[in-house]
Amino acid sequence: MRITDLLKKEGIKIGASAVDKADAIDQLIALHEVSGNLKDVSAYKEGILARESQSTTAIGMEIAIPHAKSEAVAKPALTAMTLPEGVDYGAPDGNPCKLLFMIAATTDGDVHLEVLARMMQMLMDTDFTNDLKQAKTPEEFLEIIDRKEKEKFPEEVKEEKMEEKKGYRILAVTACPTGIAHTYMAAEALTKAGEELGVSIKVETNGSGGAKNVLTKKEIEECDGIIIAADKNVEMARFNGKPVIKTPVADGIHKPAELINKVLNGEAPVFHSTEEASSADFGDDESFGRKIYKHLMNGVSHMLPFVVGGGVLIAIGFLIDTILGNATVNGAANPAFGFTSFAASIPFWIGKVAFGMMLPILSGYIAMSIADRPGLLPGMLGGIIAANGYTFKSMFEAQNLVGDGAAVSGFLGALLAGFIAGLVVNLIKKAFNWLPKAMDGIKPVFIYPLLGSFCVGAIMCLINPVIGILNTAVSNGLTSLGTSSRLILSIVLAGMMAIDMGGPFNKAAYVFGTAAIADGNTWIMAAVMIGGMVPPIAIALSTTFNKKKWTAEELKSGPVNYLMGLCFITEGAIPYAASDPLRVIPSCIVGSAAAGALTALFKVTCPAPHGGIFTFIVCGNPLLYVVALIGGSVVGALMLAILKKPAKK
Amino acid sequence: MVSKHFTVINAQGFHMRPATDFANAMGKYGCRVTIKHNGRDVDGKSLMNIIAACIKVGSEIDVVCDGEGEAEALAEAAAMIENGFGE
Repeated sequence: MRITDLLKKEGIKIGASAVDKADAIDQLIALHEVSGNLKDVSAYKEGILARESQSTTAIGMEIAIPHAKSEAVAKPALTAMTLPEGVDYGAPDGNPCKLLFMIAATTDGDVHLEVLARMMQMLMDTDFTNDLKQAKTPEEFLEIIDRKEKEKFPEEVKEEKMEEKKGYRILAVTACPTGIAHTYMAAEALTKAGEELGVSIKVETNGSGGAKNVLTKKEIEECDGIIIAADKNVEMARFNGKPVIKTPVADGIHKPAELINKVLNGEAPVFHSTEEASSADFGDDESFGRKIYKHLMNGVSHMLPFVVGGGVLIAIGFLIDTILGNATVNGAANPAFGFTSFAASIPFWIGKVAFGMMLPILSGYIAMSIADRPGLLPGMLGGIIAANGYTFKSMFEAQNLVGDGAAVSGFLGALLAGFIAGLVVNLIKKAFNWLPKAMDGIKPVFIYPLLGSFCVGAIMCLINPVIGILNTAVSNGLTSLGTSSRLILSIVLAGMMAIDMGGPFNKAAYVFGTAAIADGNTWIMAAVMIGGMVPPIAIALSTTFNKKKWTAEELKSGPVNYLMGLCFITEGAIPYAASDPLRVIPSCIVGSAAAGALTALFKVTCPAPHGGIFTFIVCGNPLLYVVALIGGSVVGALMLAILKKPAKK
Repeated sequence: MVSKHFTVINAQGFHMRPATDFANAMGKYGCRVTIKHNGRDVDGKSLMNIIAACIKVGSEIDVVCDGEGEAEALAEAAAMIENGFGE
């Protein structure tokens, strides 16, 4: 607590005169009263007099410090008086007092003692007290104190500067899709650059743990401009009418000073928020590809925990069943492997529940990135429809929510659903712009959910049958390919498993494989299963040995993909494929196809429909199966090294 | 030289009245009185120095008396501090 915070010029009387101690006290109390420091003047005066009756508060050197700590005080404060003629204050040295300070302290805290201590430290300097006694005006009196205080407590000067930044000149928001490293690196760089340029700056970080150091309405009103260094959407409506610069988070890290200067020079365009502008048209200066990437990453980063959590639980189910000897039944493959025993079935099915939410979360958060909150429901709905293969026909004829298995569009369908939902909701927003402002309240709670859900649901029900036709065509193609060429069929099936990881190609291949088991062609399932195992393992290898290709978040869940790959949980690869489908999927296809070719060459067979590495004991040529798996995974990882660009972080 | 360790118990610490009483009491003795607080030596006979040290409740202090009448001075100092200056 600084003296200059407590003493205001209204509380200072220069060149006063007092007939006696009581008169001096009355005058000092009156100064407190006019400064508004007291709740109850007479109670405070009682406190002062009670203290004086114990012993005088004169401390020598012509100084007295009457004081009271009392409920009657509204806020801690000081008043001061200089008396050139002096007044008899009963000082121990018998001299009259010429410099008086009166402390009003609240009953809470140690302010009282701290102020006293600080004043004493300063008053020990006689040059200082002489200067004070000779001050001509309250302003001069305050200035002398301020100078002395800064000299005596220099460490506070910096602190005080920080406090004075009540209005920040520049505000900034940093955000990156994962919200672990770059958000904070950009924030630090901007803060540092602000310090170097002597510009007060406050940076809000929208990291994975939510927004920190959030900008207040008042700060936004008072600032000169705002820098948005973000690779994902941030809440923009609040910046309406302010100069705003939008830039990738990397610029916040690499050229913070340039950004700050741009705002200071008035080069930032004024941001006008409309409902569309706040979300969909995040920035006209952003390239189309960048926008897509940002929306995609919003979905992928939200989906990742569902995949990891669900995948590991399912793997635990397999593990427990293996330990309990349920991998085989009477020496043959166990169709209920992973959920035969009670202990295995609980984690297995809980994991399946988490997996069930994976695609809706992906599409929901893509849509939310595009269309803000109104996009969430239609997006998730579209994802569920893609995951279950609902069609108009399935709904009308089956009269329940069991979809058409052949029309499941899988994760590619969910990606599509997310973008469709975002666009549809944005269109609905535009279409209802004409509604009077009074109706704004019912848009997000009624119109958007109602129309958004219906439109997106209907569109997806139309898309799914197309997928169904594709699925049938692919199945027919496989059948016509026949089992004559073991090598070609193995390559095709294994490659198909990696195309859409749960979509029509994957499904067609998997159904073909399981059907072949029934026919006794167990070598087909060997190719199918390995085709589904390679993608997660190839990605895991790449995250282990080629870290620069992946974001921090992707690297963290990389090792889990070894486990999921080994368990034939292809879904582990989905988040990675979704974030960069055009490069990751081809790499996975090549890796899986190579593994499929090896199974054909090694004459591997697999009689189990699922279970991954745990079922290898019932396979034919299990050791060569492992070799094929390793070979295919290495090929996939090498493909990733060639095709994938270093991660945008 | 004699010394003793104390914990300040009165709620407001060495504010002006206790500091005045303490400085006046110590002034009677011929010995030097030093309060060791927060790694600093404070002249125990100077009201201003004592207050300036900002000794709060709960502070750990050592009172050191050195010279003529040191034992008596320390005894009186101890009585004051341990009584919480009558507060």
